Amino acid sequence: MPAQNPVEQLNGRGQPQVPRWRILVIGRNPKVTLVRAAVLAVLCILGYNASLLHIRVEGISMLPTCQDGSAHFVNRLAYLWHEPRRGDVVSIRLAGVHLMYLKRIIGLPGETVAFANGRVLINGEVLDEPYEKLPCDWDIPPEKLGPDEYFVVGDNRSMPARDHKFGKVDRNRIVGKAVL
Amino acid sequence: MKIVFRFFFLAALVALGVWLWFVLFPSPERIIRARLTLLARTGSFTSGETYLAKLAITQRLAGYFATNVEVNIDVPGRVQHTFVGRDEIQQAAFAARTSLSGLKVQFPDINVTVAADKQSAVADLTVEANVAGDRDSIVQEMKFTFRQTDGEWLITRIETVRTLS
Repeated sequence: MPAQNPVEQLNGRGQPQVPRWRILVIGRNPKVTLVRAAVLAVLCILGYNASLLHIRVEGISMLPTCQDGSAHFVNRLAYLWHEPRRGDVVSIRLAGVHLMYLKRIIGLPGETVAFANGRVLINGEVLDEPYEKLPCDWDIPPEKLGPDEYFVVGDNRSMPARDHKFGKVDRNRIVGKAVL
Repeated sequence: MKIVFRFFFLAALVALGVWLWFVLFPSPERIIRARLTLLARTGSFTSGETYLAKLAITQRLAGYFATNVEVNIDVPGRVQHTFVGRDEIQQAAFAARTSLSGLKVQFPDINVTVAADKQSAVADLTVEANVAGDRDSIVQEMKFTFRQTDGEWLITRIETVRTLS
């Protein structure tokens, strides 16, 4: 009869040798691995909450860039190192971040924004908008932006201007840049 | 082991005490938040309410407002109205319950600032209203001003905040 208790293989320090697959999966010390995994999970959750917001678009004001019902992320850290830029799609908070507006920045602080026959005029010059695909016939008189104000509007300007939320917004209301 | 158990028992006791303190003696901010949540619930309705139920609920709804309340609602393209006095609010609420087949009101974000004298407060909040049958919901930021009257926090003013001007 062969021996039932095979001799345990010992490592260099006289401890039982742990199979390589187990080291790969749960590490040399399962308790330490568990603590590490928990710390990593907490860091991931904190990092996610601090940097990203998950949003779902409701409405058609950002067509065709954002479809009704589509899901996106908002990068909250996008404007940590630089200010919002023209063409950025940004989320704008109301009283909080559970419900926000999603709009595109077309006017920067200090500029004068107007709409003439559907074309955006910045300081009197026509703005090139490659993202603008739908027809527009808006006529809106010039508006001068303050030192901390941006002009935002949705991409769907085929709807009547009175049904579309757009206009000047304070910098402190811009939560972040939408990741499309 | 005994020390660890005692420590956890003591910590649980302290947590329970703190929780009880907040339940029994809520701060004005918590009271206002709770009232706003109840207001949203009272303002929501579905079809099938009887005349008497409508009357009772609108009376209850009016109880959240001061007698001289002033409400300015200005949602471009949707609603534009000014109400003065509790009676007008009650009539408007009754009319809405009669003409609409359903309404769901929610305040997903509420920021309450209580004045230093603890007699007045301002709540900046987002209103989300879904009218039954309408695909799009009405979303508007509003400012509610509260005043403590006879121990109750009553709404004295509602203004529309223009997020985009």
